[in-house]
Amino acid sequence: MMQRALLRRFTPSLRRTFSTVEESAAAGMTLNFNLPHESIYVGAKVDQVIVPGVAGEYGVTADHVPLVAQLKPGVLQILHQGTAEAEKYFVAGGFSITHPNSTTDISCPEAVKIDDIDSASVTAAFEAAKSAFSSAEAGSQAAAEAQIDMEVNKAMAFAVGVSLA
Amino acid sequence: MSTPTTFWRIAGMSYTQYVTRAATAVRNGLKEPAKTKALQHETFSYNAASWEAGKIGPKKQVNKLTNAGISV
Repeated sequence: MMQRALLRRFTPSLRRTFSTVEESAAAGMTLNFNLPHESIYVGAKVDQVIVPGVAGEYGVTADHVPLVAQLKPGVLQILHQGTAEAEKYFVAGGFSITHPNSTTDISCPEAVKIDDIDSASVTAAFEAAKSAFSSAEAGSQAAAEAQIDMEVNKAMAFAVGVSLA
Repeated sequence: MSTPTTFWRIAGMSYTQYVTRAATAVRNGLKEPAKTKALQHETFSYNAASWEAGKIGPKKQVNKLTNAGISV
């Protein structure tokens, strides 16, 4: 009898500590986006970040499950608060770490604006890398470097709407 | 490490070597003037100096460690 009375007095406060979905979504997530030579965003409040992970692209919003992902060469999209159009960067690789407190740290060795990509130079570099790969010894460093060039240039071409094979 | 699974590991590259190579590929695929500005991010050089009888000699700028007589 006494225990049931105590429980009734304590459970309402327990219910009040859970935040509502609308509250956390409105609070947004915090983004830290850093390169070795430049800090693009430090503590920026954004709505969503779409991350190009090696296992696939995924979107991060507030209260996302903590996650560490290696990035593949691809497009990183940042949706700022109240905007419909994402800000895009082409990243060369790196890591994205999402913490339990809705903060995401993204570190990349290089990130460029999609508008700065030269589709002609990227297509030429892809073709050169393709022939270097076919002429290199399988499993050698030269073959691996050619494969990296192929992968990166193919992704850059895709980002500007050119599909290479 | 256990059995390498990525092509760059199998070829004997480290992650750092792989990602810096990818970054170089990205920088080379840019339009001017963004390309020149980006290529500056990857240039580096060293100052090499010889010590004699506890005193440092003149500093010389080298862009490769092998040019300073250091075997890599």
